[in-house]
Amino acid sequence: MTATVRPAPVIGGVAPGDRLDLRICWWITVGFYGLFGVIFVLLARVMPPPGADLSTEQIVAFYADHRTTIKIGFGILMVAIGGAAIASGIVAYEMTRMSVGKVFVYTYIVSLSVGALPGCLLAAICCLTATFRADLDPQVTELLFDITFLSFVGSLGCFVANYSILALAILLDENEVFPKWMAYVTIWQIVTELLAAPVFIFRTGPFSWNGVISFWEGTALFGIYMMLLIRLVRRNITTPAAVS
Amino acid sequence: MRFDAQRVSLWMSATFGGILVVAFLIFPGFFPPMSPTMSAQEVADFYADNAPLIRASMITFDFCGVMLLPLFTVVIHQLKRIRTSTDVFAYCYLSAVTSGAALLALANLFWLIGAFRPERDAHLVQLMNDLAWITFTAPVGTMVAQNLCFALAVYLDQGERPVFPRWVGHFNIVTGLLVIPAACASIFTSGPLAWDGLISYWLRLATLGTYMIVMFVVLRRVVAEELAEEAGSAEGDLALAVG
Repeated sequence: MTATVRPAPVIGGVAPGDRLDLRICWWITVGFYGLFGVIFVLLARVMPPPGADLSTEQIVAFYADHRTTIKIGFGILMVAIGGAAIASGIVAYEMTRMSVGKVFVYTYIVSLSVGALPGCLLAAICCLTATFRADLDPQVTELLFDITFLSFVGSLGCFVANYSILALAILLDENEVFPKWMAYVTIWQIVTELLAAPVFIFRTGPFSWNGVISFWEGTALFGIYMMLLIRLVRRNITTPAAVS
Repeated sequence: MRFDAQRVSLWMSATFGGILVVAFLIFPGFFPPMSPTMSAQEVADFYADNAPLIRASMITFDFCGVMLLPLFTVVIHQLKRIRTSTDVFAYCYLSAVTSGAALLALANLFWLIGAFRPERDAHLVQLMNDLAWITFTAPVGTMVAQNLCFALAVYLDQGERPVFPRWVGHFNIVTGLLVIPAACASIFTSGPLAWDGLISYWLRLATLGTYMIVMFVVLRRVVAEELAEEAGSAEGDLALAVG
């Protein structure tokens, strides 16, 4: 194989492959996803999501029961959300080392940073708005509940675009920045987004936003995908294998 | 005279930033800021009484808010000039700026929807008002990440002639820290952390205003230095070619 990977720049005394900037971003990424799990699962209780078939009274009760932890969790997320940008930036950097050229990098970044809005921020803002006042009209609470989960589970296109470009980049890359099997793991992410599309139609069953397929299968595969991606980035930044 | 995209970008942001200040000053709910403790009926009455100015202000906001982006793209270009580390912080910065701009576009939309039919059920007008204020004030995370990445890139700049002076890194850290408490505006309805409070509103806006002005001045100088360097090396090349 031809050595087409740019050699890593040497930063004042730090050897290539042991770059401080990348290590900082990697640790922030790990910290962010850890915090993300704590916020969504333990604090805000939106993962796993409450049922799409709850009655208006049950929805009001859901917010009443979890009011404090939702406020703490999503309040923290308002500050921590920038971690998503750093997580996207470090993968984008790895993509710049691929032989396919840099253009894919911009689609990768922009699709994720636009996706952060429907996929995370809008859901969090609506959840916070639903807990902001204790005397909210139940109909309004129900509307915010629907916006929260339909945007959180149902934001599809931004992520499909993001996964598609990453999978393509990995497949077409000759520098083996990521192993080819990671492309197939990424393609499975596209499948999970397609399988989440029915959340807009069903309120019960496997295709509802808390269903076995639309939520559980998608979330499990996302967890695996993200862990693998983080591991692979770690491998790239710790081993001085920047030049093949 | 040859136009340079960076200089044009900086002046675009400065110009539209100036218009934003005017839009800000004419918004009836900013001086003083509307209180989160207003009842639904009070909010609805406020929108009904002030609809023309709310619309004028927020339509202007809609046009000009995202026009601040060019200044941040100049930052991205300058971050990429730092040769002693990778471009990773520039990419993180781009990602954070994009999400931040989208949030700004969303907030003023909520205000405009509230003002569109102020005669609707008062609870719904209040809902749009809550969404607008929370979206406008609380998601500070994009700016925090932006400033952190900027500062880290500046600190790791080991070049003989650093692109940015060190203090601009410190300045970004401090401004990032000062806006963090505003996240609490999504939680509290009264006190200094509420969206109309001393910290979440006045401190945050003063910080943002100062930040934009200082960064404009800093970037003007940094861009001028880059252009002078380029001109210098171009002359050198010419001398070599002629010689």
